[in-house]
Amino acid sequence: MGAEAAQPSVNPGVNKDMEAVAALERDAELMLRVRGGDETSFALLLERHRAPVVHFLYRMVQNQAVSEELAQEVFLRIYRSRANYQPTAKFTTWLFRIATHLALNWIRDGKKEKSQESLNEELLDGVERQVPDRQPTVEQELLHAVRLKEIRRAIEALPEKQRAAVILHKYEELDYAQIARALGCSQSAVKSLLFRAYETLRSRLAHMA
Amino acid sequence: MGCMKQSQEGARVLIEYCAGALDPVQAAEVERHLESCTDCRELAEKQMELWEALDGWKAPQVSADFDARLYARIAREQAAPSWKQWVRRIFEPAAPVVWWKPLASLGVAGAVLAVGLMMHTVPHPAGAPQVHADQVDIEQVAKALDDLDILAPVNPM
Ligand SMILES: [Zn+2]
Repeated sequence: MGAEAAQPSVNPGVNKDMEAVAALERDAELMLRVRGGDETSFALLLERHRAPVVHFLYRMVQNQAVSEELAQEVFLRIYRSRANYQPTAKFTTWLFRIATHLALNWIRDGKKEKSQESLNEELLDGVERQVPDRQPTVEQELLHAVRLKEIRRAIEALPEKQRAAVILHKYEELDYAQIARALGCSQSAVKSLLFRAYETLRSRLAHMA
Repeated sequence: MGCMKQSQEGARVLIEYCAGALDPVQAAEVERHLESCTDCRELAEKQMELWEALDGWKAPQVSADFDARLYARIAREQAAPSWKQWVRRIFEPAAPVVWWKPLASLGVAGAVLAVGLMMHTVPHPAGAPQVHADQVDIEQVAKALDDLDILAPVNPM
């Protein structure tokens, strides 16, 4: 790949910022309605954020059942604290702060080992679910499975805070300030977490290119 | 623009460039640097390859009964006695509570007080070198802070 090929595919500018502002207001507005007792607004919030939260937790713990269990806990806590809600911070930041906290606690409690048996099944599961549009050959499928396994292992091997930072940055597209709030650390700490995490991943997955 | 590979801030800019998250002006600036710097170009290429590889990992779809299970939990909780709901609100908060911070402040205050009392109550033997109370205080506080740092949640970055 040359310098010209190094063109980024997306170039979010003003439009993305405006979308972000609109989304911020929408979430806050919905949450204020939930505070006022409107159950439909909670259903809308759930609809908007269910998949991102579950997916973030899935990549953190690499087990679907556990990720959904933890995601339920996140939404339960949001619902439980509706009466005291103040729109001081971005809703998604709050959401991912709770999710990150629960995921890190789960990992630190060593619950990972107990669910390790299901990981291999999950790996195969994940492969089956990710079959591309065109009918792949057996070799392509095997190669895909092997690569996927390496990616998952490499991310799993990262220290937990680096793992959370990378997943929030890469897959949830949170900015540095949001990641800092989700992790409860400074933005310069986030810089250093991501710097180290990507460095490790680049060297671990270098042969895959 | 200096060499981005040399500093963490530079590396951050390069990572954001590869993620397509820079505005056009910043992106153009990075591209100008990449044209003349082999090291940064290599780093950018590797980072983009990694970015694409990570794209390959999709998360599975959320179970169809996710909402139903959540609403069942909410209903169960609301049916619980109100004291139980209060206990849950305290022990399972919506925002992580940094419980050690107030404890740390108390600990430091205690250490300062204890050292202060010692300095004022223990008489100096004749001829022994005089130690300034202030000096000891600072050292003791620094030590106390170091000890308390161990109490902070693990921070393996
Ligand atoms: Zn350079």
